[in-house]
Amino acid sequence: MNSMRTNNNRPPQSIPEYLEQLSQALAGADPALVQDALYDAEEYLRSELAEQPGRSEAEVIASVASSYGAPEEVADIYRDTEVKVQTALRPPAPPPRTSLLGRFFGVAADPRTYASMFYMVLSLATGIFYFTWVVTGLSVSLSLVVVLIGIPLLILFFGSIRLLSLVEGRLVEVMLGERMPRRPLYSARGRNWLQRIGDMFTDARTWSTLLYMLVMLPLGVVYFTINVTLLSLSLSMIAAPLALFPGLHLNVWMFGIDFPQQAPYLLPLVSAIGVLLLFASLHLFRAIGRMHGSMAKHLLVKTAQYS
Amino acid sequence: MAEAPDDSDLQLRKFQKELSAGTVSLALLAVLGSADEPMYGYQIAKRLELLDGVLSGKQSALYPVLRNLSAAGMLDSHVEPSVSGPPRRYYRITEAGRTTLQQWTAAWRATRDSVDAVLEGVCQ
Repeated sequence: MNSMRTNNNRPPQSIPEYLEQLSQALAGADPALVQDALYDAEEYLRSELAEQPGRSEAEVIASVASSYGAPEEVADIYRDTEVKVQTALRPPAPPPRTSLLGRFFGVAADPRTYASMFYMVLSLATGIFYFTWVVTGLSVSLSLVVVLIGIPLLILFFGSIRLLSLVEGRLVEVMLGERMPRRPLYSARGRNWLQRIGDMFTDARTWSTLLYMLVMLPLGVVYFTINVTLLSLSLSMIAAPLALFPGLHLNVWMFGIDFPQQAPYLLPLVSAIGVLLLFASLHLFRAIGRMHGSMAKHLLVKTAQYS
Repeated sequence: MAEAPDDSDLQLRKFQKELSAGTVSLALLAVLGSADEPMYGYQIAKRLELLDGVLSGKQSALYPVLRNLSAAGMLDSHVEPSVSGPPRRYYRITEAGRTTLQQWTAAWRATRDSVDAVLEGVCQ
C-alpha cells in the first residue's frame, strides 16, 4: 500500500502511465465506472496531444494536471458524480419491508422482478444468436486462416465480439440493474497489425467474452424453461377452482386424484398453493437476474481492468 | 500541495464545487445550443476553459455530465474517426434539449437576479 502511494505521487510521463495511475486511484470502484473514466481520460489526453504537435508527451501530460486534473483528482470527481447520478436516475427504491410476509409478497412490487422475468425469456433468443455468431465466426475465419483471407475475417469477428459485448452490457444494465460500461475499451494505438492480432489473443477479456456468449445458449434454454414452466404451473394451479363452474371443462389431475370429481373442497387449497408458488417463482426470477448480472459483470467487464 | 490549505480556503473551494455542480449542465447545454455544428468533449472543455470562475474547474468533470445529458435525451451523440487521434464522440443538442435550455435559462436568470438583489445590501 505504501509503495503504491509513493508510486502515485510521481507525476505520470505518458498516457499509459496516466491511465495506470487513474485506474489505481479508482481501485475498488465499480469496474464499469472505471472503464468509462479511462475512456474519457484517454479521449481527452489523445486530443490534447494531437492539438500540440510540438510538445513531448511528458510535457503535455504535465500540463493536463491543471486542466483535466491529476489522476487522483479525476478519480474523486468520478466517484462523486457516480453517487449523484445513481440517486438521480434510479427509480426510487420501494420502502424496505420488515415483516416476513411483506418481504415475501413485496417481490411483486419490485420492477426488477419483471425485468428479470423478461430477460429470462429474451435470453433464449440472444443466447441462440450469440452461440451461432461465435461458432460460425470462429470456424469460418479460423479455417480460412491457412489461405490468409481468414486473418481479416478473424479481426472483423473479434471486433464484432466487442460490439456485441457492449450491447449485451446495455441489456443487462437496463433489465438486471447491474452497472455496465457505456464506453468500449480503447485498443492500444501505435502498435502494428501483427502486435494487435497478438493482443487480441492474449487479452483475457476476449476469451471471457467468448465464453460468456457460448454459455448463453444453455443458460438461455434453462432460463426460458424455468420461466415458462413455473409460470404456467402456478397460474394454472391458481385457476383450478374455475373447474367448478358449470359449462367449463377443466381437468385438475394431481397425484392420481381428479380434484373436481373426488375432492372439490381441496380446489381452493390448490389455488392458494398456486399463489405461493407464483410468488416463490418471482423471488427465483429476481435472484436469477441478480446472479446473471454479476456473472455478466465478471465475464464482460472485470477481466478488462488495467491491472 | 506544499502547505495545508486553511479553513476558509476549504470552505471557498467547497462553495465553488457546489456552484459548479449546479450550473455546469446549463453551461454545457448553452455551449452546444449556440454551436452550429456538433462538438466533441475536448472542444467543449476548451470552450469552457476560456471562461473564468467556477466553470473553469477540472475538465474531467464534464464528461460524466455530457453522458448524463445524452442519456436524458437532451443531447444526441455519434462517434467519428479522426485523422489526428482517437475516434471522437460528437454531441449535438436535441429539440428536448433546447426546450430544457430555455427553461433552465429562465430559472438561472431569476436566481441570479434574486441573489444579486440580496447581495446589494452587503457590498456597496
